[in-house]
Amino acid sequence: MVNELNLETIIEKIQTETGCDCEAYPNITNDETILIPADQLQMVMAVLRDQFGIYHLSTITAQERDIEADQSAIELIYHFFYLNQPGDGRGISLMVRLPLDKPNIASIISHLPGADFYEREVAEMFGVSFTGREATPKLLLPDEWEHGPPFISSEVSDE
Amino acid sequence: MNKISIPIGPHHPLLKEPLSMNIEITGEKVLGGSLRLGYVHRGIEKMATQRTYVQDVHLIERICGICSHIHTTTFCNAVETLLGIEVPPRGLYIRALMCELERVHSHLLWLGILAKHVGLDTVFMHAWHDRELVLDIMEGISGGRVSHAANQIGGVRFDISDKQAEMINVNLVKLKQQVSGVLDVIENEPALQARTQGVAPVSAELIKDYCVVGPVARASGVDVDMRRDDPWSPYDKLDVKVITRPEGDAWARTLIRVLETRESLRLCKILVEDMPDGPVSVWASRKVPEGEVVTRSEAPRGEVVYYVRSDGSDKPARLKVRTPTLPVLSLLPVQLSAIHVADIPVVLAGIDLCVACADR
Repeated sequence: MVNELNLETIIEKIQTETGCDCEAYPNITNDETILIPADQLQMVMAVLRDQFGIYHLSTITAQERDIEADQSAIELIYHFFYLNQPGDGRGISLMVRLPLDKPNIASIISHLPGADFYEREVAEMFGVSFTGREATPKLLLPDEWEHGPPFISSEVSDE
Repeated sequence: MNKISIPIGPHHPLLKEPLSMNIEITGEKVLGGSLRLGYVHRGIEKMATQRTYVQDVHLIERICGICSHIHTTTFCNAVETLLGIEVPPRGLYIRALMCELERVHSHLLWLGILAKHVGLDTVFMHAWHDRELVLDIMEGISGGRVSHAANQIGGVRFDISDKQAEMINVNLVKLKQQVSGVLDVIENEPALQARTQGVAPVSAELIKDYCVVGPVARASGVDVDMRRDDPWSPYDKLDVKVITRPEGDAWARTLIRVLETRESLRLCKILVEDMPDGPVSVWASRKVPEGEVVTRSEAPRGEVVYYVRSDGSDKPARLKVRTPTLPVLSLLPVQLSAIHVADIPVVLAGIDLCVACADR
């Protein structure tokens, strides 16, 4: 277990262990955030858990966002909370970006069952498809909901 | 023996809020269950992006009917961070006082519900009688028993006079005595112990796997509390004693909440006595600079997380709210397996359901 925890150490370890192309995302106040490729999420999570003892997933934030002038993406932020010792906790997040037309990402519930409700909420509200898990009934939206994901701007109607 | 499915909810006398469960049993033994939420989903996160930050404070207060103040506190902390403003110390102390009073109110309400479910109507009556003392304090301060509208971006909306501080102190002394009596019952009443000890134990490993927070996690020995571990002001100046128990059963979940009530009363006393003089609020711009922020706090049911993204306008571009009930509910199907049918109400009460919080 690596005791010294700072963002550079974490990024360096992730790159060494997974060969993943990741970088710090400095814009979120209070949470140290790392932008990673979506297909590396499970491997990076394993490094956080096994090498640093980061296992508590607070939630998954999803949002549709313009990442460049003419390009939108669905951004997922996996917010973790790390407790080094009593009184010394901090937020650490992993950010991935998915294409708006095909937002697919591997489910993490086989590693972390607590992510189940978070993934189901993101799937319903943003139309993200979590692969590698069984189809589940709706969690929040009505069973008879026939419209698209409520948070995707193109799907919002006047109704 | 045949397997039977029992649908409970969304409308059921056992439930105070709508939630649908499908519980599978064989004889008296529960095999497992599944959950369906969403019956009070109001789309608050989406609505918040269509309202101004000032309006959102009032919207967010409606996420929960019990822990309304902690939601506005966490939201205001986030917006104030983006604005780069500092709330005056007296405003922070009043905020924290309301947070702790809310915890006492929530835990006593919960204790009454648990006592009712296990047939201890006397404890139910006492707990809800004592809760009135807390509601009186909060009504005296804010004018509202449940929705206090105490917070605004930049501080709080009202001050506490010397006369009010005196009334708070009198009620705190009464509450401390009453809670000691309740604690004595929890620790020594054989009927309560028989109904809760050894019921639906949860290991610390399961708590970690399911990312469970708050008193349920602490009752399984997971030592975490945002007031101590990621403190917002003025908790960084308070010595919050985090209480844990190793048992992980329904009795530990009961004891934890009563001990936390006693600790909150201690913190209330300190907050009233040490409250600094000065203003309670500062002016805040209605437009919030571009940026993103995550804030965490400890509600009566555990960790609350807010993510706010501002695009520089007077409305948030994205607001994400994670309430503590959601992860605790994800553990419920696991807790329901291998218990007796008669223990279902005890398990449900033990997690301190707040469906409105989970649905948002």
